[in-house]
Amino acid sequence: MEDKVLGIINFIRISKDLEPLTSLCYSDNLRSHIGFTSFDLAELTVRIEDEFDVDVFENGLVETVGEVFEKLSK
Amino acid sequence: MRAFLINNNEVFDFKKLLTDVVNTNVFYPQYRCNDLYRYFLNFIVALISNNPITLIDYDLTDSEMIRLNLKDINVLHPIEKITLNSIDQMLQKIEISSSNIILYTSGTTGQPKSIIHSVKTLTRALKKANNHSNDIWGLAYNPTHIAGIQVFLQALFNQNTIVNLFDKSREEIFDAIQKHSITHLSATPTFYRLLLPYVKPYENIRNVSLGGEKSNQKLYDQLYRIFPKAKLNNIYASTEAGTLFVSHGESFQIPSQFERFIVEKEGELFIHQSLVGSLETKLEEFYATGDMIEWIDKEQFIFRFTSRKNEMLNVGGYKINPSEVENVLLQISEIKQVLVYCRPNSILGNILCADVLLFNPTKISELEIRRFCIEHLQEFKVPRKIKLVNEISLTRTGKLRRQ
Repeated sequence: MEDKVLGIINFIRISKDLEPLTSLCYSDNLRSHIGFTSFDLAELTVRIEDEFDVDVFENGLVETVGEVFEKLSK
Repeated sequence: MRAFLINNNEVFDFKKLLTDVVNTNVFYPQYRCNDLYRYFLNFIVALISNNPITLIDYDLTDSEMIRLNLKDINVLHPIEKITLNSIDQMLQKIEISSSNIILYTSGTTGQPKSIIHSVKTLTRALKKANNHSNDIWGLAYNPTHIAGIQVFLQALFNQNTIVNLFDKSREEIFDAIQKHSITHLSATPTFYRLLLPYVKPYENIRNVSLGGEKSNQKLYDQLYRIFPKAKLNNIYASTEAGTLFVSHGESFQIPSQFERFIVEKEGELFIHQSLVGSLETKLEEFYATGDMIEWIDKEQFIFRFTSRKNEMLNVGGYKINPSEVENVLLQISEIKQVLVYCRPNSILGNILCADVLLFNPTKISELEIRRFCIEHLQEFKVPRKIKLVNEISLTRTGKLRRQ
């Protein structure tokens, strides 16, 4: 699951001309560390939803990679 | 001296603004700039010197500028020196300015269109009074778009401080609300959704306005928790007409002075030309908004919005014409057919997607198509999920396409 999320995050990063990440930390902030705008966050939800059938942002903002993993492991 | 603008913790006070205005003898009629203070300064100088000004998004791509026929970007234009003794005098000059203020909006035909406003049309809904003198505004809209311009003018005419919150993270926004004691927020539901979930209350916020896209009771309930002392308003505005109505829930009431100027025909809202900025094409007596409404109480002129008549899409409060995006995608030689549409999204309300049919499926990847879009379109117009499909059989509303 974590590899798939890394793949999704890297797809979005590469399309913005950012270097792909080799790994993710639970404490990584999606905006400040990963470099995502609200449009990127929206894309992340759609791609995660298509892959895992879970809307990670349904009940408000998710700020870190760890919170994304937590929602997906429930 | 009171601050005029706080941007990234840099403070620009009204005294500096006045000094910079009187010391200039040039301005940019078409200015593409991401320095907010310089952008506002240039705007004010254009208004005071009664020169026309075109407001341009900083992130417009070169090909979008060519399509808009914007050739003289960032070319300086000389003006006579301005003599002013006070901020009050500066505001009086702005109030009587004859400048044409030119904005762009996504046209319904796929070609963006220009709309010419004046200070008069943009300040129609403005509230100027002593009880507004201590307001502090959070600017959460794009400053080149109509809602951002209206926040700017509302704050300026009351000599309020503007704190820039546009494109800031949740943490930066809450920090700024607290640190600068912001009292007024005007933003899209998407902006407010990004502030959720509730962590603690911010009691200094007295007024919260929502506009640009549909919102719902769930969002209002959460906002009342975060801003317990705030009055919540819904604003209906358009780039063509500026602000027209304010409501406190889903329903809007046509103000009595506009009863003959805002009418409903076959379910669609029409606005009299006297309330609309000038368009390139000559207007009929009434301008069709494309917004479909239903009456809640026809005698009291109370209604609610139901849907859009045309195919304009709304992503996070940005209006997008799918044809404009489709036309850009069709410039890619490998693409045979394309369909741009929206999918519901918990952050932006909707997210832009495209189904693409290629001549030869192995020739181009989603990433390459995406990069072409980024190069030719502003960020909000770039489809975030591009699906390579074997056939395109659905229309944007999900109906089967007629052959």
